[in-house]
Amino acid sequence: MPDLSRKDVLRAGLLAGGGAAAGAALLAGLPQGAASKPSKKQDAEILNAVLVLEALQAAFYADALGRASLTGELREFAEEVGGQEREHEELVRQALGSAARDPPEFDFGDATASAKAFRQAAIELEDLVVQAYNAQAPNLTKGALAAAATIVSVEARHAAWIRDLAGKNPAPFASEPQKSAKAINQALNDTGFIK
Amino acid sequence: MSDLTLAELDRDGALLDPLAALQGSSRAEFLSRAALGGGALLGALLAPIPAEAKPSHKQDVAILNFALSLEYLQDSFYTEVERMGGFRGPLGEQARTVAAHERAHVVALRDVLGGKAVKRGRYDFRGATESRDAFRRTAVAFEDLAVAAYKGQAPRIANTGYLVAALGLHTVEARHAAWIRRLAGKTPAENAFDEPRSAKSTLGVVASTKFVLQTRSRRSPRFTG
Repeated sequence: MPDLSRKDVLRAGLLAGGGAAAGAALLAGLPQGAASKPSKKQDAEILNAVLVLEALQAAFYADALGRASLTGELREFAEEVGGQEREHEELVRQALGSAARDPPEFDFGDATASAKAFRQAAIELEDLVVQAYNAQAPNLTKGALAAAATIVSVEARHAAWIRDLAGKNPAPFASEPQKSAKAINQALNDTGFIK
Repeated sequence: MSDLTLAELDRDGALLDPLAALQGSSRAEFLSRAALGGGALLGALLAPIPAEAKPSHKQDVAILNFALSLEYLQDSFYTEVERMGGFRGPLGEQARTVAAHERAHVVALRDVLGGKAVKRGRYDFRGATESRDAFRRTAVAFEDLAVAAYKGQAPRIANTGYLVAALGLHTVEARHAAWIRRLAGKTPAENAFDEPRSAKSTLGVVASTKFVLQTRSRRSPRFTG
């Protein structure tokens, strides 16, 4: 077996989906539910949506660290998780290669202006990202699914961490709620973070 | 050490049914090849699993049974904590919440598997349910292991419905892991990427805990070598 580093293996898995990319907007053009047959072309569509989510999160934490006067463990959380979101973004971008589309502009408004608002927005964002990955994972080819799976559980760890920090149940359900791509897209639009 | 068959050592099949199925042989075939000295048990558990990775219904059943055996282990662990009176404070809250989840996972997997579900093993947690410190350390290990194990199996699942269900359990295990890690004073998300773990490696870790009782059965074994 060739001696590949973890990141190379991940990249290989994601790259299987790095072929042609047609121009669909955000998550709206994605398969609804889990019935679509996986293909490399579809991988690229999904990964471009994932790229938006990861870029959004990375920008969110960077903005909060600059504006929200975070202290203590909340600051530690934002630093640690912000760095991990940047790693996710970088990996997905590299995997997509020339098929990667530039993420949109973001505006976090009041959500990154205070510690309290940041905490609430982080909970909503992390829970939403976990559900977005879970909704699209069955539509990926097996190699891309294996790579995405190494990211989604880290997003779930982020969600649990910030929920616990906020005094909320870190795991409020025995099985992650299933949301359609449409519902996730709607929830994402409702944040107003994407310009 | 007297020779024991694996059937005697693991009479409820908590480990070996999934292992045999993952190796693509029936339990009887597998066990018939597996008579060995007690000291060699771990070696048998770690024996190479042929890479017949093509997804199939048969393999799905093996994967779900593998998941069920891990859920039994966790369910039994947290339920024993509850039976012993639980812990005070946030740690008790974690144990109660997670116990209910792991029980729900067992029920869900047994429902899907029906008559093909493996039986629950017998466990001795060797004090890990008795002190807060031992509980925390063991729970961290169990939860991180479950995350890695689900992740290792998800891409091998053929049936989309099973895959969706497994993914829904996978991220809840990750939430449990982050929660208990924080309570144990560890960073909840240590790395940007969580590694998968193969079934073989996972079962090796489980065997190394010695939590799964491997006492000689009073009944005659169902299969002998």
